[in-house]
Amino acid sequence: MTNQHPSRRLLLAGLGAAGTTALLSGCVTASSSGKGSSGGGAVTLQSNLSAPQAKAAMEDLAAAYAKQGSGRASLNTVAAETFRTQLPTYLTSANPPDVLTWYPGSVADAYAKKNLLLDLSDVWASPDLKRYSTALNKLCTAASGKKVFVPTTYYWWGMFYRKSNFAKWGVSEPKSWDDFLDLCDKLKAKGVAPIGLGAGGNTTWVASAWFDYLNIRINGAPYHRELLAGKHRFDDPEVHKVFDRWQEVLPYFDPNGTAVAFQDASTALLNGRSGMMLIGTFFADAVPKNALDDIDFFRFPVIDPKVPLAEEAPTDGYFASARTGRRDKVFDLLRYLATAEAQEIYIKGSSGTALPCHPDAKDSGTPLVKKGRKHIEEAAEITQFFNRDSSDALQPATDTALTKFIAKPKSVGSILTTWQRDAEQIWRA
Amino acid sequence: MAVLTAPERTSPAPPPPRGRRARGPRRTPPLVLAFLLVPLLAEAVWVFWPALQGLYLALTNWDGVSAPEFVGLGNFREMAHDEVFRTAAVDTVLWLVLFGGLSALLGLGAALLLQQERRGVGFYRAALFLPVVFSLVATALVWQAIYQPDGVLNQLLESVGLDSLRHAWLADQDTALYAVIVPALWRQVGYVMVLYLAGLKGIDPALYEAAKVDGAGPWQRFRYVTLPQLRGVNAVVLSVIIIDSLRSFDVVWSLTRGGPYHSSELLSTYMYSTAFQSLRLGYGSALAVVIFVLAFGVIASYLVRAFREAD
Repeated sequence: MTNQHPSRRLLLAGLGAAGTTALLSGCVTASSSGKGSSGGGAVTLQSNLSAPQAKAAMEDLAAAYAKQGSGRASLNTVAAETFRTQLPTYLTSANPPDVLTWYPGSVADAYAKKNLLLDLSDVWASPDLKRYSTALNKLCTAASGKKVFVPTTYYWWGMFYRKSNFAKWGVSEPKSWDDFLDLCDKLKAKGVAPIGLGAGGNTTWVASAWFDYLNIRINGAPYHRELLAGKHRFDDPEVHKVFDRWQEVLPYFDPNGTAVAFQDASTALLNGRSGMMLIGTFFADAVPKNALDDIDFFRFPVIDPKVPLAEEAPTDGYFASARTGRRDKVFDLLRYLATAEAQEIYIKGSSGTALPCHPDAKDSGTPLVKKGRKHIEEAAEITQFFNRDSSDALQPATDTALTKFIAKPKSVGSILTTWQRDAEQIWRA
Repeated sequence: MAVLTAPERTSPAPPPPRGRRARGPRRTPPLVLAFLLVPLLAEAVWVFWPALQGLYLALTNWDGVSAPEFVGLGNFREMAHDEVFRTAAVDTVLWLVLFGGLSALLGLGAALLLQQERRGVGFYRAALFLPVVFSLVATALVWQAIYQPDGVLNQLLESVGLDSLRHAWLADQDTALYAVIVPALWRQVGYVMVLYLAGLKGIDPALYEAAKVDGAGPWQRFRYVTLPQLRGVNAVVLSVIIIDSLRSFDVVWSLTRGGPYHSSELLSTYMYSTAFQSLRLGYGSALAVVIFVLAFGVIASYLVRAFREAD
């Protein structure tokens, strides 16, 4: 008799273990369907905006949404790098976060093709989103024609510098590629590293901005997008032209460019150890408030005037998991996030250098932001950024190719061959 | 009679009936059974099953989102032509030799120096063991600050007039791997030292006295007494070093991520970046299988040899 109890317990434990095993195997490989979270409770909002100012702004946004009464959002902030590597797991899990911060365009479309994203066409029928620009509308539409993304803010990339330093060195913004080379010469003569980079540490991807800009200036944005979508080869003559031009400016790069992360390169820029830096406005999160007014930027120089002007202006926003159990609540939250009020709350709480997607939403109004808005409006074409126009999976191979080129520019031939081979493996996977 | 009967009374009890004896093993206390089976189940669920899943994934192409596509030995065939895999394998062997060899030598050296119970020796032992306590990621962050272009190391070189040696230690393919080995060694030496200290404490002092009586000098005592007596500890140290070398990941990832351009790539970092950055989870699993086979092969072959020698 006494032996029966453990046996029963063991049987139950065995069943439990078998169940757990089945569950685990489901987690590991299957993309099985699951209803996921129940319909009740707050909408879970998984955010990769972990920089202190951005995180605080997201908390303000969640609080403001709760205050307006139609629902609640439970914010979960995850470090950006962890978020990126975990995103496929989030989206394929049986109980995913309902709404996630991420990028529109090819990145969102790749998940939409695998039926992992919620169809947001109903949300796009809201009065706010109906007023969004055609470009944003197109950017958030998957290949299937369904809307899968709600954009909220965007920012721009440019050659940033410190006004007081340029004044001190007696130099000004260049208008053409030759002007730009002159500027580099002048700065070098003053003992300053003309171009800061910040492609060391964990931010090697920053080097991609140089590839993106040279490619859109030399071969144009349509070719750039096609190349990044695998429709051209990285060892094509067009791509070689990009690296030929890059070699012209390479001697002006800070020798520590691939040894320090962009945050440290920003410090070198602010301290006057480097003259300028091709970077996105997100670097302002690391800039002290009192130095922010001293920051200015100029457009990446035009190389071929015949090529239509394109700029990098990555858009940020949200998509939702197709497996959410709170469809209506998710729609309500996304409609709120698309309002001018919500975007203003975010911009006010963060460093204030982002631009809102809602046509009525006010930006922070600083001269820098006004100039940034004009900079984007003047562009004939907008690109996102390397990983957003291609895929996250291609970024590591790109980082290797570009940092190797910076260190060994003469090996460009073999670097591009290897890059193409790595890209093929990734596209085949 | 009394004499005759007495042994009968004191004779051992008759053996239990056959039926009862046959049921003997069933009498294993349920608690003991639970102590065996529960860990076995936990191990099966959390270790064996994922390992089997890993083996299966190694035979597939999988991006982590779509269903895995079975490709047989395709990933292993690709590995045979993969230059980065070759670099990572060579670096791993280099790591094993340098990190493993130096940590064993330095650990043994530190143990020999600090084995005598002298005044203040506890402080030195603690100081050497302290890095073991720190998280490797925290260790890596400290060393990152040391290796920065404007970091402590370069400033130190400048202050002693060795400006020409200033270097971007982690961003140069010629120095990255060696620069990463130093913090890993810094941490490992204390651990190996403790293992050897325990081994040294277990040696019978009479052996040294006998050797001294026989006229053996310090080197001969070390060569013919200490080293043979440490054979058991050596087996442990070697296993620990091989396992730690093959699973070395965090310090490399935190400092260089295997870069610049794969120059400090180990099999473990290549596995991680392939699986979780390039999202080629099938190929990453195949790399994990190779790491497992290498670790298991090296340790098993050493243990088999050690047992043969012991026989």
